[in-house]
Amino acid sequence: MDHRFREYLRTLGEDLKRDWQLYLLLAPMVIWFVLFLYKPMDGLQIAFKDFSIFRGVAASPWVGFAHFQELFNNGLFIRAFFNTIIISSIGLIFAFPVPIILALMFNEVQSAVARRWAQTVVYLPHFISVVIVAGIVINFLSPSTGVINILLKWVGLEPIYFLTQPEWFRTIFIGSSVWKEAGFESIVYLAAIAGVSPTLYESARVDGASRWQMMWRITLPCILPTIIIMLIIRIGNLVEVGFEYIILLYQPSTYETADVVSTFIYRTGLQGTQYDLATAAGLFNAVIAFVLVYSANRISRKLSSTSLW
Amino acid sequence: MKAFLKGVLSMTIAVALTAPNLVIPNLAWAQEAPKITEEPLELTIHFHFRDKYVYTEDWPVEKKAAELTNIHVRNVASLATTSSRDAFNLLIASGNLPDIVGGDATGGLKDDFIRYGLEGAFVPLNDLIEQNAPNLKAFFDSHPAIKASISGPDGNIYFIPYVPDGKFSRGWFIRQDWLDKLGLKQPETPEEVHAVLTAFRDQDPNGNGVKDEVPYFARDVVDAVRLINLWDARVSGSERYGDFATYDGKVRHPWAEENYKTGISNVAQWYKEGLIDKEIFTRGSRSREFLLGNNLGGMMHDWFASTATYNDALRPTIEGFNFVPMLPPKTVSGDRFEDTRRQQVQPAGWAISATNQHPVETIKYFDFWFSEQGRTMSNFGVEGLTYDMVDGKPQFKKELLTNGEPVNAQLWAVGAQVPRGYWMDYEYERQWTNQIALDGIAMYEKCDCLKDEFLGVALNAEEKAIYDQYWPSLLTYMTEMQQTWVLGAQDINTGWDAYKQRLTDMGYDQVIAVMQTAYDRQYGAAQ
Repeated sequence: MDHRFREYLRTLGEDLKRDWQLYLLLAPMVIWFVLFLYKPMDGLQIAFKDFSIFRGVAASPWVGFAHFQELFNNGLFIRAFFNTIIISSIGLIFAFPVPIILALMFNEVQSAVARRWAQTVVYLPHFISVVIVAGIVINFLSPSTGVINILLKWVGLEPIYFLTQPEWFRTIFIGSSVWKEAGFESIVYLAAIAGVSPTLYESARVDGASRWQMMWRITLPCILPTIIIMLIIRIGNLVEVGFEYIILLYQPSTYETADVVSTFIYRTGLQGTQYDLATAAGLFNAVIAFVLVYSANRISRKLSSTSLW
Repeated sequence: MKAFLKGVLSMTIAVALTAPNLVIPNLAWAQEAPKITEEPLELTIHFHFRDKYVYTEDWPVEKKAAELTNIHVRNVASLATTSSRDAFNLLIASGNLPDIVGGDATGGLKDDFIRYGLEGAFVPLNDLIEQNAPNLKAFFDSHPAIKASISGPDGNIYFIPYVPDGKFSRGWFIRQDWLDKLGLKQPETPEEVHAVLTAFRDQDPNGNGVKDEVPYFARDVVDAVRLINLWDARVSGSERYGDFATYDGKVRHPWAEENYKTGISNVAQWYKEGLIDKEIFTRGSRSREFLLGNNLGGMMHDWFASTATYNDALRPTIEGFNFVPMLPPKTVSGDRFEDTRRQQVQPAGWAISATNQHPVETIKYFDFWFSEQGRTMSNFGVEGLTYDMVDGKPQFKKELLTNGEPVNAQLWAVGAQVPRGYWMDYEYERQWTNQIALDGIAMYEKCDCLKDEFLGVALNAEEKAIYDQYWPSLLTYMTEMQQTWVLGAQDINTGWDAYKQRLTDMGYDQVIAVMQTAYDRQYGAAQ
């Protein structure tokens, strides 16, 4: 054991000497990970403590799983948890394929000018702050002056006060998120498509394949690994719904469908200064996310031999 | 003899006029320079407030105070932070406290001062005040309820608060010109309010031929359901959103009362009828500007001073525009009350750290701001710079009032009206408040229709654990149901029993029990 360890150190030393430029390039990322992702994990212990910021982490007494018990006895947390899963799952089903379809469509546009123009138009919303997007959504859906309700009135329907009705929240949230992000997310797939070898298309054309067949038989299978990686990442984020946008759009009257774990943490942890309870909620979330990513990766490796690790 | 009598008489009148809650000024200090130390003494302070300001020695007010007291206060708070709450929490977490910690923060610092005071970060001030601070002692002796409200569960005072002055901040406003046009008078009963709002809705008071009027509207979420007052229900026991209230010495939550059910049920009906703004919960802070500016809004409940200024702003563009304060209409039981009042004590101020080597000098410095001279400076700024003495009373300089800049921002810039431990003098605000608002406030003062303010309680560790466990979820649930009912997604009359049951299941009774225990402990003596 000791011998093998010394052997390992020796090869490591040689590697460092030979490829020091590469290790130098790697260093900032490693340092960033250690400082900002691993070191703060130490703070997770407050999920098991009765935390007081004045006493500090070390001096606060241990309380075991009390905060977790409190969470699971809290109907609102359970509801927030399931809301998160539901919003993410619907998002996965409806929002995930959109950038892929967009990328395929861009790929088929013949005129370079038209393609660039279309791409710019769909990328643009990504660069608008969520605060402004929320403002646009609120204005569009306003029952008195909103475009949507004016159209509804035109065709003789009653105006709907969308943002106060829980049954509309998911549609609005996911729909506007797709509008904002789908274009930008399609870049990854466009890059993957650009990497497909042109010889494949040439030989297909020689064999008389139609454009539809080429897309279906060549482009899609070639970018499948990218799609799967993106899917695994997305599954890992299944329990994460960004709270900024939800907070801007939700109302107490739509909590029923709109309150998610991150907004729950925001309200109890930051507004209510119960840092220990909020940490417990976050930790629970992280554990679930880990299990999801791990299983998605396993399944993918079995089925398609593509995986994150 | 005559002259002598005249002198005595005018002195008595002056005293009676200037000091309704008379604090005997320390005459010795008022005459000679109230130097606290022979040698200049420097104290460090962490004081971040309104999310963007810090204490500074360069304020003219602070320079003057340093000259008078010989205490020099040096700020250590960073201006780089844009959240006073973060600045305070970071300071506490660092464990390295300067001599004085103060300011304000989102959610208030009162609970923090008490909590960390109990944990040993700040010193109890009771003995220090008793022995060294005659002005503070006189103030607390004459305001026992305020003293009780800032005390910790152990009965100790851990901070000197910012104490506002004046009773009324908000009231009801109505478009008097619309009433005149439709031949109506200001509504006095719930039925009359209903009739007036219906007339606003149907009879086109703005005369544009379109049914676009918004009869009742609100800017703040607290005013959205303010009309439940007409059925004797209360929105909150204090300026804080969704606060508890006291009913004959018993702490309860207004949103669990029977009259709340009646109130919400009627408000939901009015909402359905279109008498209340359809977008009442989402229109947000621009609603007042938008609905008044476009000649659409009819009636609201909002701040006197700022709402009254719309008359000046809009009369040139909207003919006859007259948005005036009116008394609260009588309720169904014939009572007449105003639900809101200016907070009697703010959860802001300053405290002395346990590591401070000069607690006696520090409390004397705090006391200076409660002396007559200190109070004038903290309210009006520096004589000759921002105000002049006219007939023995501070009067703001003309250019300060008329240069177009907000008066309060100008005062903050010199170090007056900042949330140190001080006692506000309403006179400072009166000097730049619009006459319509002043008349409204005078009308409310005559009406004497205030409800008791719930001043908050200091919970001990066990009580706080119970409160923290149940209360945040309860408040979320109650807020959610309030909107659900008002918007008509559910009928409160069928849902009420389930709601009460759910409150019980979620721990409502336990929370009320600890609130009551704490309330009795804290205010038992003051009543």
